Amino acid sequence: MLKQLRKIFFNQQFAARRRFLKSLALFRDLSDRDAGLLAQALHSRVYHSGEVIFEEGEIGRALFILESGKVDLVKSGATIFSVKPGDFFGEMALLEQLPRTAKAVAAERSQLLLLYRSKLDALQVSHPRIGVVIMAHLAQLLSARLRRFSQLPGSGAAPDA
Amino acid sequence: MPERKKTPLLLGLAGLAAAAFAVFHLYHVLIPFLLSFALAYVISPLIGRFEARGVRREVVVVGLYAAVLLSIVLLANTVIGLAAGQLQDLQAQGPQYAARAKSFLDATIAGLNGRLPAGLRLPRMIDPKELQAQAIQQVQNLPGYLLGVFPVLSLFFLIPFITFFLLIDGGDLIEGFIQRCPSRYVEQVLHLTSEIDMSLGNYLRGLILVALAIFCASFVGLVVLGVDQALAISLLAALSSFVPYAGAVVGAVVGGLAAGFQFGTAAAGFKVVGLFAAIRLGDEMLLQPYIAKHSVDLHPLLFLLAFMAGGELFGFVGLLFAIPVLCIVKAVLRVAWAWYVSEEAMGSPEIADAAAIPYV
Repeated sequence: MLKQLRKIFFNQQFAARRRFLKSLALFRDLSDRDAGLLAQALHSRVYHSGEVIFEEGEIGRALFILESGKVDLVKSGATIFSVKPGDFFGEMALLEQLPRTAKAVAAERSQLLLLYRSKLDALQVSHPRIGVVIMAHLAQLLSARLRRFSQLPGSGAAPDA
Repeated sequence: MPERKKTPLLLGLAGLAAAAFAVFHLYHVLIPFLLSFALAYVISPLIGRFEARGVRREVVVVGLYAAVLLSIVLLANTVIGLAAGQLQDLQAQGPQYAARAKSFLDATIAGLNGRLPAGLRLPRMIDPKELQAQAIQQVQNLPGYLLGVFPVLSLFFLIPFITFFLLIDGGDLIEGFIQRCPSRYVEQVLHLTSEIDMSLGNYLRGLILVALAIFCASFVGLVVLGVDQALAISLLAALSSFVPYAGAVVGAVVGGLAAGFQFGTAAAGFKVVGLFAAIRLGDEMLLQPYIAKHSVDLHPLLFLLAFMAGGELFGFVGLLFAIPVLCIVKAVLRVAWAWYVSEEAMGSPEIADAAAIPYV
């Protein structure tokens, strides 16, 4: 009875998306309500197999989160990374509007969530906690990537302290 | 400009021209839809608050409509009863108002005639019976002015009906558009909808805030001043405020006249004019900085131009929607400019300099 009532009054699909967002490294410390607000700021789009999501060299304006399917990141004709469900890419667009460094192509029918930069800006103003959590995780992610890059032999970077 | 960037621009301009043509020729039919869209747009953040907690959108919308309906039923006895009472009082006191107004005018004319040379003296043109009839008619017409702003059928039936479906559909319209949009333009479409959403949403929500503030402040002020038609005049002023700057002017003119006739003295009318001047000042000092901070930043001359063009083309509805349309035009131009300059986009030089420091 209680389950039936919950089904009537609460949106199970929305709850599933909220759980999915909270499972991502970028959004993992958000509360249920904050994850709900973030889910409202996202746009969903289905890309068919072979459909180009963005081209290399185009100005990035959104972060992409793969909900289902598979996306290939392609540079100079070669696939450099295959994005799996739960992964996100294009996050640099949330920090600066620079040309994309690779092309993204849907390798199969894929459902993506798009977070546009100005939507995140609006969220940061109305709910600063959400912005702080996302930016902190983004900084951690950047730091981890830089650390990994600087440890590569011949990277030219100073050794990590 | 690269060839592939010309196509969406041309398509967009063609679509805009077609939409403008359709709006110009069908705007009478579109009025309830436009008003419903504006209403749904203003209400949707409230729905979104519940939706963010996981409650179904349909449940929230039905709940909201039930709450509004219940409020109307509960308020019917108080607010409508009050308005009916005010009208009955007005009818009963009408002859007294007319007599006071007549004696005031007679005294004024006599005073003026005493100071003017014989050739310039004013005739006694005012017929007391005619003045009485006109005064009663004008004050009784106040609720009519209020309802005359919008067609009654639209206000009470069509607009809530259309708004209901718009609220239920929520962001599905934009999601559907994004799904059908060619994938390479998705980010640009998001950019455009996001800019329009922020500019228009903040402006419309600001207007609602101003209307509510004007209603509350004028109602309290008019009740304190003892004006009989306080409720009707406050509602009229609040509704007029959807055309920026008009609320206080309409309130001052209608309220001032009503108070002048009611008390039979010019001082009573000037007190009401002073009240609305204070409300306008308060709005300018307290509310407008807050609204402007989150809203569209436009030069006052552009506002004026938009009002004149909107009024000329579409009458009152044109005045009502002049600024929202201006918000959309500005957002489109901003996005077009951002796309154009982003061809040359580079990272911030300060960040580039800082990035030269080794990661330690």
